[in-house]
Amino acid sequence: MKTSHLTTWEQEEYIINRRAPQLLRHLAECAECRAAVARLEHGVSIFRHAAVEWSAQSLATRPESWPTVSRKRLPVHALRWAFAAVVPLLLLVLALRPFHLSSPRPAQPAAAISDDALLEQVDEQLSVAVPSSMESLTHLVSADSGSNPGTAAYTRGSKPIVQTN
Amino acid sequence: MEALEQLIQAGELSPVRDRMIAELEDVTTLCATYRSRIYRYALLSLRDPDLADSVTQDCFLRAYKARDEFRGDCSLATWLTRIATNLIRDAVRSRKFQFWKMVSSTAVEAGAMADRLRAPGLSAESSLVVKEELLKVWDAVGALPGKQRTVFLLRFVEEMELSEIATAMGLHVGTVKSHLHRALAAVRKGMESTK
Repeated sequence: MKTSHLTTWEQEEYIINRRAPQLLRHLAECAECRAAVARLEHGVSIFRHAAVEWSAQSLATRPESWPTVSRKRLPVHALRWAFAAVVPLLLLVLALRPFHLSSPRPAQPAAAISDDALLEQVDEQLSVAVPSSMESLTHLVSADSGSNPGTAAYTRGSKPIVQTN
Repeated sequence: MEALEQLIQAGELSPVRDRMIAELEDVTTLCATYRSRIYRYALLSLRDPDLADSVTQDCFLRAYKARDEFRGDCSLATWLTRIATNLIRDAVRSRKFQFWKMVSSTAVEAGAMADRLRAPGLSAESSLVVKEELLKVWDAVGALPGKQRTVFLLRFVEEMELSEIATAMGLHVGTVKSHLHRALAAVRKGMESTK
């Protein structure tokens, strides 16, 4: 035996979410509440029906225009092929890299010699007492000077060029 | 949504998510599947067919551009509804929309809609009563504040679950229910009023 009617909140609750069993039990027993709920439901129902109808009619008059998308993605299988092509190349480069590093490097060009080294080389050449073109004469002088320094000053081969008596 | 949650718990979300992402990649199929739904939602929210069409197209474009951000934690319909909700909110805030809303008459729109409404099996008198009722509900829904109207449309026109509405609007389920109660109370009041 019911004691009171559903409140408006409970009626709305039934329409929003019909899972409450106590509301269902009450509505099964109370014709007055059932009528109140049915009125509200009917209002919502005709609104829905009209809305769907209006929307469908409105949409039917409009051309189907899809949004244009300029950017396209590469398909996954294309990326897989690209990866498969790059990996062997990368491995080849890595395999050849030790040989490349161990090979002798080319000599440095003259221009790469520093200024200090060049100046040092010039100093060494200037400090030599006898020029390189006259080095053979110094050998002769040093060979004869031990026995008779005045007899032979210069020789060509085994023959003395200058002889003193 | 409940089925989706069950799949998440069962660890079977990945294939479902992959399928949804594949669906997102094909923008033509995506539009063909969800266009009428998004357009209806936009049309009823804005009550402007041109603006609703613009919002619908923008919705799909944004969805395609942001498809990498789709995590698959809700259905595609819910995700699209969330995008559409943001776009509708932006459109309502625009000054142009405010101006046209000010000069237009919702009664005329509702009258035109009621005239087109088919009521098979009803007598002329009953049909007139239904149209009067519809005008009252139409006006009451049109007068609802933004969130209440959105929640009302999503629940009673799009027939979304409360949890789906909460996801689409970024609200708690309790807040959604609260908005729905207020919206229904306003509609009831509108229906009881005599014009």
